[in-house]
Parts: sequence; C-alpha cells; structure tokens
Amino acid sequence: MQLILNIFVSFSLLLIVSFSFHLLYQVVKFFHIAHAVTITFGAYFTYLFSVQFSWHLGAAILLAIFCAVIISGFMELLIYKPLRRQGTSSWKMLIASLGIYVVLQNIISLFWGDGTKSIRTWAVKTGHNIFGAYITDVQIITITASIMMFVGVILFLRFTSLGQQIRAVSSNEELSNIFGISSGRVILWSFVIGSALGAIAGILIALDTDMTPTMGFHVLLYAVVAMIIGGVGSYKGLIGGVLLLATAQHLSAYYIDSKWMDATAYIILILFLIWKPLGFSGKLLKKVEI
Amino acid sequence: MEYILHLLIFISIYILLSQSLSLTSGYAGLISLAHVGFYGIGAYTAAILSVNYSVPFLVTLPLAMLLSGLIAIIVSTISLRTVDDYFIIITLGIQVVIFSVMNNWQGLTRGPLGIPGIPSIKILGVSFDSKISFLLLSMFFVGIVWFLLNNITRSPFGRILIALSEDEIFTKSLGKDVYKAKIISFTISAMFASIAGVLYAHYISYIDPTSFTIHESIFILSIVIIGGMRNLWKVALAAAFLVLLPEVLRFVGMPNDVAANMRQIIYGVILVLVIFRSSDRIHKGKTAIEKTSKKSTVN
Repeated sequence: MQLILNIFVSFSLLLIVSFSFHLLYQVVKFFHIAHAVTITFGAYFTYLFSVQFSWHLGAAILLAIFCAVIISGFMELLIYKPLRRQGTSSWKMLIASLGIYVVLQNIISLFWGDGTKSIRTWAVKTGHNIFGAYITDVQIITITASIMMFVGVILFLRFTSLGQQIRAVSSNEELSNIFGISSGRVILWSFVIGSALGAIAGILIALDTDMTPTMGFHVLLYAVVAMIIGGVGSYKGLIGGVLLLATAQHLSAYYIDSKWMDATAYIILILFLIWKPLGFSGKLLKKVEI
Repeated sequence: MEYILHLLIFISIYILLSQSLSLTSGYAGLISLAHVGFYGIGAYTAAILSVNYSVPFLVTLPLAMLLSGLIAIIVSTISLRTVDDYFIIITLGIQVVIFSVMNNWQGLTRGPLGIPGIPSIKILGVSFDSKISFLLLSMFFVGIVWFLLNNITRSPFGRILIALSEDEIFTKSLGKDVYKAKIISFTISAMFASIAGVLYAHYISYIDPTSFTIHESIFILSIVIIGGMRNLWKVALAAAFLVLLPEVLRFVGMPNDVAANMRQIIYGVILVLVIFRSSDRIHKGKTAIEKTSKKSTVN
C-alpha cells in the first residue's frame, strides 16, 4: 500500500515536469534542457526568500515562481529567439540550451553551494494514516496540486484564445503566422506557463525531499524519458509513460535497490526503442516524415 | 616543470577524447553525449585488470578497446534507430546508465570509493613512471590516433560520413549503407576514447566515477563544437585551450571550488556563443540543403 502511494506521489510530480516540458517541446520543437534549471531555480528562490530572508512561505513561493519565469523568459528572448530567427537547426538549439543549463546551474552552485538544502523549517511529522500507508501533508498537496494544474492547463489550452493559439503554433508555426497569430508572443507565453509549472514542480520536490543544484536535471531526464516513451503529442500517452516510469522505478527500488532507479529508467527507454520505437501513441518521430 | 608536463599530459588525453568524438559528432553528424562513458569503460577496464589480476598494459589496452567497441556496437545498433535530437537524448541516457553502473556495481568497481593503486605502465620492462616518459607515451598515442583519424576522414568511408551528415536520403540513394557507416564511426570513436581512459587510469593511478559524469561529456562535446566539428587541428587547439583555461583562473587567485564552477560557466558561455556564430556562418547558402535533409526518414 505504501508502495502504491509512493508511486502515486512520484507519478504526480513527474507528470507536472513532463507535461511542462512537453508543452514547451511542442511549441519550440527542440529539447529545452535548460528547463531543468527553471525547476531548480523555483526551489532555490523559495529557499532564498523563505529561509534566508525568512519571509512568509506563501509569498516566497509566489515570488520564486515569478523569478523563475522571468529567468526563462529572458532565455527565450535573449538566446532562443535570435537563434530561431537565424534558422538554427534543432540539435544546435539543444546544444545552446545545454550551454545555458551549464552556466545557470553553476551560478546556483556558486551562490548556494553544492550541498543539500532544505526549505522545511517545521518539524517532520509522521503523516496521516490511510489504509495502512503513511502520507504527509506535503504529499497530499503535491498530488492535488499536480492533478489540478494538469487538468487546468489542458482546459486552458483547449478553451481559451491564448491556449488555442499555443496549440496552433505547436501544430504549424508558419500557417499560424499567416493567420495573424504572432508566434513570438505565443512562444513567450508558453515559456511563461511551462516555466511556472516547472518552478512549482521544483518547489514541490524541494518541500517533499530536499534540494541540490542538480535536482532539476535529474527530474528532467526522467521527464524526457517519460515523454519519449509516451510519444509526443498525446496526453494519454504522456500519462501512460509517466505512470510506467514511476511504477518501474519504485518497483526496482523496492525489489532491487534504490540506486538502480536511473538505470531502470533508461533501460525501459532502450527496451521501448527496440520493440516500440514510436512510443505509446506512435507520434514520436513525426517531425522527420517525408 | 613537472606542472607543465602534467598539463601537457592532460592536454594529450583530451586531444585523444575530442578528436575521437569529432569523428562521430563532426564528420558523421551524430552528436553523442556518451563519449565519456566509453572513456570511463577504458579507464575501469585498465584499473580492474591491472590492480586485481596485474595484467600488463600491452594486454589491457586491446582488451579495453575491444570491450568498449563491443558495447558501442550494441548501444549504437539500438540508439541509431532514432535521429537528431532523440539520438542526443538516448546517448545522454547511455551515459547515465554507464555512470550508474560505475557508481553502483560495488562488487566490481568499488562504487564511489574508486579504485586506488593502479600501477604505472610497463612495456617490455621499460617503466613509464616519470612524467616526461609518460608524456612521450601519450603523445605517441595521440600521434597514432591523429594519423588514423586523418586517414579515415579522407578515405571513401570518411566521405560517406560527411555525405550522410549533409543529406542522409541522398547518400542512401547512392547505394551507401548509412546505418552501417554510422555504427562503424560510433564504434571507432568509442574505441579511441577508451585508449584515453586507459592512459588516464595509469597516469592518475586512482579513478572514481566522478571523473566520468555527464558534465565531462558536455565538456568534451563543447571542445569539439568550439573546435569547429570537422577540423582535427582546431579540435586539438580547442582541447588545449579549454584544459589550460581553469589553470589561468587558478593563477588569477580564485579558490579551487569557485574556479571549478567558473570553468564550467565559461565553457557554457563559449558554447552558446559558438552556436550563435556557427548558425550564422554555416547556414548561409546551405539552407536549401538543410531543409531537405530535415525531411530524412527514420531508419
């Protein structure tokens, strides 16, 4: 029972990270690795405001999300946008994004050190008992917040004007430009939404466990694997991929050893590439069709 | 003097690594982040064999090359089913798996404790424990690998690699086996990387998994990118530059841990700048080709 609960908690965390990454990927069409640092920034800014400045936690969280969004907005405006204008191919964008990640992650290390930090100032409680399993308050918040955000953003994408524009740009950028949608603005907005989700995920992770400067990268790698397993372009596939990955990780942690969790994730990815190279939904390699 | 020799040895190890990566990433256009994984496989093979079974260098070197070549064949056969960005992510995954094997298979690799006491190289009774002799040895290997890579890249096979990185469909239509060429280039570069690993293990005489992380992979990739991808000379110069850079920082008087971060920040910035410059240059007059090659099919 505890195992199922743990799977569910990490499922909901991973879902949010994977979903936000997927949102950005669909719009910008390259792997925005620097998203990892947005996640980390969310956690570290919360630490800065709530622990170091000892402000109220709620205000600190809001401000942290804001700061993380600003930073990723600058990434888009200062680096990705000029590169896109030059017509840079997607792997070069990926490398540039990797460069940004390296720079910002080391800046975090410079400011806060490589050690583990914790936002928790309160005493650790033994959570609530549900059917013989223990769940902490933070984990309840994580699950509800993630599912609410997931559903909320999907509804947003479907029913609001901006959401529809985002979907239009992700399906065909040139065509939506012809229809008068300014793709630059839409991409910036999706960076705002995606980074806010990423920052929230980072804060939730930091509340649940602790944080290190490389935590974002770690989570993001799982999220990317989940996205590839699920297949790009389908939310059902994404949920399936995340669920499979979370389950496999916890089972391997339970039956083998928790240190093999990374390897398990990638072995699943490799198995998928052998037997089902297109992911659950079969839309993985759509961008390279003739 | 010892210090300069030490730096020169490191430069030659990194020249080995980056030039071998240049074969896959530069010539064949397969950006690989798993290169340090193979470097680590070489280092660990040499360390385990020479410490536990006291196998001589002349045996461990071919064994290490064989092992990493074998793993490279298996890994690339699977990962080359994908293209472009997905391939990069898969190689990142391979790197993570190799690292986690090094870090967690404690029975074999002693995990985070690392393997100490790796003996220095002895060839036919001649011992290479002094720095100057080791430098000569590593320069010998750099020379061989450089010569081989130079010949490979100018051979018909090298031209296939360049062609497939420019336009895969067109190369296929000429009757070239693109998939096989990619696997071969990936394997050759993995084998060369393991030479660097063997040298590193014997030189430092202690290895642990932290030398073979993903950050190191990004570092070597950035050497290749800064060196202009397809130019062995410039890649070698870039390797020397990026190895010497943190030493300069140390002379300026930065504390060691700050210098480590600064080094990474600097090469991250350089990487972004190079991407800016390169997309400016390469894309002029090449956009039409680029557009068609984007539409290449999946293998």
